[in-house]
Amino acid sequence: MADFVQQILNGFALGLAYALVAVGYSLVFGILRLINFSHGSVYAFGAHAAFFMVGLHFGPVPAIIAAMLITGVLGVVIDRTALAPLRKKKSVSIAALVTTLGISSIIQNMLVVIFGSQRKPFPDFFNFGTLELGGVRLGSRQLVMVTVSLALLLLLLMVVNKTKVGLAMRATAQNQKAAALMGINVNNIITLTFLMGGASAAIAGGMVGGYYQIVYPSMGFMIGLKAFAASVLGGIGSLPGALVGGLLVGVIESLAALFFGSNYRDATAFIILIAVLIFRPAGLFGKKEVVKV
Amino acid sequence: MKKILIAALVILAAALPVFAGGGSEAQSDTIKIAVAVPMTGDNAEYGQTFLIAAQIMTEEWNAAGGVLGKQVEIVNYDDKNSAEEAASIAQKIVSDPGIIGVLGHFSSGVSMTAAPTYEENKVIEISNCASHPDYSKMGKYIFRNNTAITEEFKVMVDIIENDLKLTKVGVVAIKTDWGNTAGGLADKLVLASSKLQLVAHEDVLETSDDHGPAIAKLKAAGAEAVICVGMYSLYGPFAKQYKEVDPNVQLIGVSNAYTQQIIQLGGQAVEGLFAPVSFYAESSDPATKKFVDEFKKRWGAEPSSLAAQAYDSIGILLQAIKNTGSLDREKVRDAVQNINYKGITGQTTFDAIGDAAKQFTKVIIRGGKFVPYTK
Amino acid sequence: MEKNTEEPLKTAGGLYRVELFFSKRRMILIPAAFILFLAVPLMGFNQYILRIFTVIGIYIILSLALNLVAGYTGQLSMGNAAFYAIGAYTATLLLLRGGVNYWLTIPLAAVLAGFCGLLLGLPTFRLRGSYLTIVTLGFGEIVRMILMNWDSVTNGTLGIRNIPAPDFFGITLSLRNGGFYYLVLFLVVLVSAASWFIVNSKIGRAFVSIREDEIAAQMMGIRTTKYKALAFVLSAFFSGLAGAFYAPMVGYIDSNSFTFEVSSQIISMAILGGLGTMRGMFFGAAVLIVFPEVSRFLMDYRFVIYGVILVLMMRFRPQGLLGWQPRVPVRFSKTVRSDLMREGILPEGE
Repeated sequence: MADFVQQILNGFALGLAYALVAVGYSLVFGILRLINFSHGSVYAFGAHAAFFMVGLHFGPVPAIIAAMLITGVLGVVIDRTALAPLRKKKSVSIAALVTTLGISSIIQNMLVVIFGSQRKPFPDFFNFGTLELGGVRLGSRQLVMVTVSLALLLLLLMVVNKTKVGLAMRATAQNQKAAALMGINVNNIITLTFLMGGASAAIAGGMVGGYYQIVYPSMGFMIGLKAFAASVLGGIGSLPGALVGGLLVGVIESLAALFFGSNYRDATAFIILIAVLIFRPAGLFGKKEVVKV
Repeated sequence: MKKILIAALVILAAALPVFAGGGSEAQSDTIKIAVAVPMTGDNAEYGQTFLIAAQIMTEEWNAAGGVLGKQVEIVNYDDKNSAEEAASIAQKIVSDPGIIGVLGHFSSGVSMTAAPTYEENKVIEISNCASHPDYSKMGKYIFRNNTAITEEFKVMVDIIENDLKLTKVGVVAIKTDWGNTAGGLADKLVLASSKLQLVAHEDVLETSDDHGPAIAKLKAAGAEAVICVGMYSLYGPFAKQYKEVDPNVQLIGVSNAYTQQIIQLGGQAVEGLFAPVSFYAESSDPATKKFVDEFKKRWGAEPSSLAAQAYDSIGILLQAIKNTGSLDREKVRDAVQNINYKGITGQTTFDAIGDAAKQFTKVIIRGGKFVPYTK
Repeated sequence: MEKNTEEPLKTAGGLYRVELFFSKRRMILIPAAFILFLAVPLMGFNQYILRIFTVIGIYIILSLALNLVAGYTGQLSMGNAAFYAIGAYTATLLLLRGGVNYWLTIPLAAVLAGFCGLLLGLPTFRLRGSYLTIVTLGFGEIVRMILMNWDSVTNGTLGIRNIPAPDFFGITLSLRNGGFYYLVLFLVVLVSAASWFIVNSKIGRAFVSIREDEIAAQMMGIRTTKYKALAFVLSAFFSGLAGAFYAPMVGYIDSNSFTFEVSSQIISMAILGGLGTMRGMFFGAAVLIVFPEVSRFLMDYRFVIYGVILVLMMRFRPQGLLGWQPRVPVRFSKTVRSDLMREGILPEGE
């Protein structure tokens, strides 16, 4: 029983990491209807940026903040150099998708060139001890992860729902043409979305790096796919959906590993995803899109 | 259809000169040895050190006048530790008549995919790391300058039985071809021991750094000692996560745990980790010292035992050519078979199927360093 | 979607003339090309280069297969490596465990892969666009996990080794004697022909109508779900064929040969060459197989450049290098054509 509770706790922490990454997919998909395949690599980039800053003897908090800024800028650069021109040309959606695949390859392999492909030790910042209750351990790393993730998600939710910028984002998501007519600079809003996506990926990278104390260039691949599955599961485009999707994937995956062994662990996310999509094509919290002729 | 054929024609025409340049002819003034290892990808760290080790050995020979009056040239190929790449590279290697032998490949599965091509074309393949029992059985030209993994497990069982005096053993293995086979063999040897009890076997994915569920099960089964079958990337996170759950667990690695990276990644958590090795960098042997110093200069860290075996493998191949006195492939192959080579990984001989016999030293991590184990 | 037929004509005018030049001489060029390709193994290339030719052949088939579903029907599948894997494993298991003759395993493997394609095609009843893409991606990962873990059937991570090469009237096919090359050449011709007939039939027109506007297609009485599922089945069938060929050629299969990277490589090939064209598949496969081989010296930069190429392509030539569409979608009658020529919309001479 203790094992069971323990794995739920572990899965919860893992799930929040997925949620942090999933948010990035959701933000971009909500506005552009684009699966941003470069996001997993952006996350790895964020982790490496934090790793690099730590190497320059920044403390953990300044390092992660610096990483957020750098990675956010990377998000903006991706959008401005590669994706915005495609929008301007009104390219087909597959072009943008393939572009993000290409960017993913560029980022990941540049990380290999600069940092090497090996796993590098990330300092154990968030370890202030462990709480033990009836055979169930709650580490301070998990607590930090939970607190930071929830705080970030709340902040994002506030921005999207309570601010003027958020209103513009929602308007752009609903109808870009109408939003532009209302005087919203759609391109700036999209760029802002990439900035937010990049920054949240950097936080996720820093947190997960600190949680497992390793970073490496290919770290974004699996977590990217799973987080993406999580965001679709929750209803892509919806921030609470990303949170719920991430937690579901994290917890179910940990429990599946406990009961069925680690073998099918990476497939769990996709199995849940397909099952949910067949019955609820728009995900758990997504709104069904009506196609108008 | 026509457009397709035309497009294909154009490509063919464009590609022809490239291909023609690719198939270089044998140069008679050098002897070529291929080093086909992962230079990029997840196991690049291993491959890059093997190349350095191989280069150090050839430079030593070349400085002394080469072999049979010819200079030795290393030709490096990057197989990314992928079976598909290796199959393509093997074809490339056998297409170059100047290449007499190959050092490679990294994992057993990859080596075994390439082996039939080498065997068919009489190119000697010496792997310094393949540990799958069936690898060296794949042909006459296929050798292994590494001990079969069972020999290592025997030492590990001995450590648990006699040095640690523990009984309940768990096995954790990475879910790759190598991890599966080696993990299975570890189980068998533990089961065969009358003093030990195999309490759990867990597989973990290389793509995940979260080993919580596997650790929970090993702990629930009451494992006192855990045999870790993985690459350097497994030990650090696994040890850290395990020590938080059970600080008293005794971890035992295979010989590839003997690398500085696991200390970097594992920190305090890998303290007390055992590993059986055939090479110890701080040995007082002058040949070892010379190699280690040179290697450190180029790589910045101490060589692993696998790098040392790469160094010796090239030595064995060159010594065999020297003993033969010609480049006749069959005769060189026989010379490798009958060699008795004194290298930095001990005295090496090959048995009938092409497996090397080696002596093991037990090392343990103490104070953030590998030291020879003494009670 | 509004399609401007004039603009591509003008921009691709030069290329169109090239095409016209070749198409007029096709009666000479096709046999000549065929003879040239037949003669490749006799040209004294070494095994390594014959292997590259053969691998290009495999990827041509895989790209043609993807093209049916992504290029013509407009449903992007990111899980085609799964069908390739199913074909390879089915053929291998039938050969080794079932004792089935090699030449029978190829069609059987393709049929089973096609059946799995139907399974994947079923969600298309409910899902569209990106969501469908996600399901195909997940399908690919699940299949790979099954191959990796179903030890009793697939031999798990160890994969299956020593797959024997097939005999053809007493000659064992190998890379060295060019046997595999001829076999893949035959399969490429077969799949190209099949693909050509499909695309130029009623089915092909239904596919294209779904790509252009699914709702309009439905309005015109096309059963879109049926045709989407059919596109998946055909795509899976041909991918399975490629897999059944691949397994005995390398003599070894494991789950790592069929990762997401393979799927995304097939997509890159199709896009580089030009989705929705057949010539593009030949071109894309050849370029992307040869590129990593000739650029090994670039080491890690190889995949950086690969990414840069993809990004630049999408920016400047999203229709693919050979993806020009000079022809108006339908074949006009002579009078209309001569009118169009007079207007300068259609170049003279066809």
